[in-house]
Amino acid sequence: MTDHEHHTAPAGTAPVSPEYLYERDDEHQLLPQLVAHLREHRTRLRQEWAGRIQQSGLLRAMTPQEMTVETTSVYDNYVEVLETGSVEALQRYARDLSERIIPRGVETHEVVGIVLLLRDVLARSLFEKYQLDFALLNRVLDAYEPAANRIAITVAGSFVDERERVIRQQQDSIRELSTPVLPVRERLLILPIIGVLHSERARQLTEQLLAGIRTHRAKVVVVDITGVPDVDEAVANHLVQTVDASRLMGASVIITGLSPEIAQTLVTIGVDLSKMDTIGDLQGGLEEAERLLGYTVTRDSGMASP
Amino acid sequence: MVRRVIAARVADAATVDDLVQETLVRVLAAAGRVEPGMLEPYAIVTARNVVTSQWRERDRHQRNQHRVVDLRPSAAVDEDLLAREERDAVAQALTRLSAQERDLLLAHEVSGRDTRSLAGELGSTAGAVAAQLNRTRARLRVEYLLSVEGVEPPTDRCRPVLLALSGGDRRRQREVDAGRHLLECGSCARLSQPLMERGQPREDEVRVRVESDADIVAARQAARELASRLGFSRTDLTLIATAVSEIARNIVRFAGSGEVLVELLEHPHQGVRVVARDTGPGIADVERALTDGYSTYDGLGLGLPGARRLMDEFAVVSEMGRGTTVTMTKWRTGR
Amino acid sequence: MSGPKLVSILRQGPHLIASIHTALDDTEMERFREDLVEQIGRHRSRGVVIDVAALDVLDSFGARTLRTIGEMARLRGAVTVIVGIQPDVAFAMVSLGMDTGTVATALDLEEGLAFLEGSGARRSGAGRIGAPAARAVPR
Repeated sequence: MTDHEHHTAPAGTAPVSPEYLYERDDEHQLLPQLVAHLREHRTRLRQEWAGRIQQSGLLRAMTPQEMTVETTSVYDNYVEVLETGSVEALQRYARDLSERIIPRGVETHEVVGIVLLLRDVLARSLFEKYQLDFALLNRVLDAYEPAANRIAITVAGSFVDERERVIRQQQDSIRELSTPVLPVRERLLILPIIGVLHSERARQLTEQLLAGIRTHRAKVVVVDITGVPDVDEAVANHLVQTVDASRLMGASVIITGLSPEIAQTLVTIGVDLSKMDTIGDLQGGLEEAERLLGYTVTRDSGMASP
Repeated sequence: MVRRVIAARVADAATVDDLVQETLVRVLAAAGRVEPGMLEPYAIVTARNVVTSQWRERDRHQRNQHRVVDLRPSAAVDEDLLAREERDAVAQALTRLSAQERDLLLAHEVSGRDTRSLAGELGSTAGAVAAQLNRTRARLRVEYLLSVEGVEPPTDRCRPVLLALSGGDRRRQREVDAGRHLLECGSCARLSQPLMERGQPREDEVRVRVESDADIVAARQAARELASRLGFSRTDLTLIATAVSEIARNIVRFAGSGEVLVELLEHPHQGVRVVARDTGPGIADVERALTDGYSTYDGLGLGLPGARRLMDEFAVVSEMGRGTTVTMTKWRTGR
Repeated sequence: MSGPKLVSILRQGPHLIASIHTALDDTEMERFREDLVEQIGRHRSRGVVIDVAALDVLDSFGARTLRTIGEMARLRGAVTVIVGIQPDVAFAMVSLGMDTGTVATALDLEEGLAFLEGSGARRSGAGRIGAPAARAVPR
């Protein structure tokens, strides 16, 4: 699809194109003319465009070299859309570009901005070229504008789509990260909880832990709540239920990092702390877990053997 | 005005269907008690149209379902004793409507007047007229059924309940506590069958009769199946199923029989509501029955506090000697 | 019992392996309890594994029946371990306020048998799985 070979191709060889670009005979002749003009002055117009981008303070995240490469590609894609009427290649390129620049913090308004700048640069060059024949200029602009607008919409749309996809992906991974069930070694899971526990999160956490016990065939779970500031009674109750449910599945639960505040809440709701296996810190919890698994005695299947 | 419009349609109506015409003549001959004038014959046509069109509707929805009563007219209808009974029933049902209700129904069904023009005439709105027509149709169906079955409602509550069922108005059904009445009243339970089968089969509710151990399992499985359509997590589905199991067991152990109704809710959030009704002895002290430790395996109120913990909302209404209704809800999100 | 088998009770050495294959109603659950307790006595079993992995609900009656089996087995000199409680079932049980009492639990059949093998020692470590729960209190 690359058009470098065709830069000097004579006008009038444009392939069959969608009707919207060639509704009138005018366009049939004008667009190829226009494309030829844009190819002829490719280097100058692209540089002018890059200059305008720089002046406007857009795409500061990019190096000059990157800017040259990307503006050239966008320019060529742009002209190709005018020539073929098909935005597919441009769309693909815009997606790909978006994927590369989104992580670098490029914003939607910048992308829309550069496309509008290009539209403007090209329109001005057409104005210069046809300024002596006002009627012709009008017809050229009539042919150019709908196509240019469509290009702007395509590029901005692709960028926004891509941005949304990236955000969704990030949200998913954050969600996973927020309640990581970590298999430390065979039969041993660690569940470090960090941050405020509200009911919905506590519920997710429980589901993940219980499913994790099954998947990893865990026999001991260390739940570290050092990073939990405080809990309300509902969440405290949920925590206890999680411990009990784990036991029903055959796993022992060790709680580490229990703050005096949370301990108090647990006592308030009537939990018998002596029946919960609580150990000061994570290190101690892991040692206890290994003892339970029998690692200090034998390193076989982890079964309790004398 | 309405009468004038109808009168203008006489010739048309008479030629449309010889069969119907013959029916009308017979009804006129047989029914000296009917209202004066030409109104009644058309009323009967109307009534038949109303009833049979309702049944055709049902037929579309439940083509393969067994029909309790088949009201579709057939070629042999006039030769048939059943058909005669049906006619009489329709005639009698019509006498139970008020003159105003009848006029409106006839103008719409026989004369083909639309609700907007009727509304203009009555100084009302099209919506209000349509609602009035629906209520009248609902009444006609109820009166028709009572008449054809030869039943006189045993209690004051029967008609309001049957009307609410006939109209398909769920809010009204709850207001009159239709579910409980059907458990208590045998004749309404029977009459309600064709009324409830009418119209679209409900996809967002399931009703399970509970009277044996096996029904407990059936009720909880039905609840799980229905709730799963809302995308509840597996954990929530199990909580719901377990709660239903507990309250269904209460019915079997302490009341002997009852029913569990499970329905999906869309407002104010998506959720599932379970209503368990029985006609048992009732719970003397509901507060105590909801207290942990009070309920034992031998005592009344088994599983209530447990079930309450599994659901988001929970309410018990009990009346000594009449029975208990447990209503519990689980919301899908927004917690 | 007719039709497809609802439960099966197999002998393996000194142990019995009882599996529930489908949802049981209360009557079937009680019959299962009677059959199992009778077989424990007849075979003088030392251990019993009850596999409930196929159950999608363990309500108060079901949990209570399992506890009763455990207690009756102990009176006959056998140790009981319940295996295969599903994650969601376990959570519903504790939400309901039920547990398996003094009856041990293990992840699955393999773990259950391992538990029975090691339970002669009945010492610390994994042998303590299923210790009495801390008990959540109703909201």
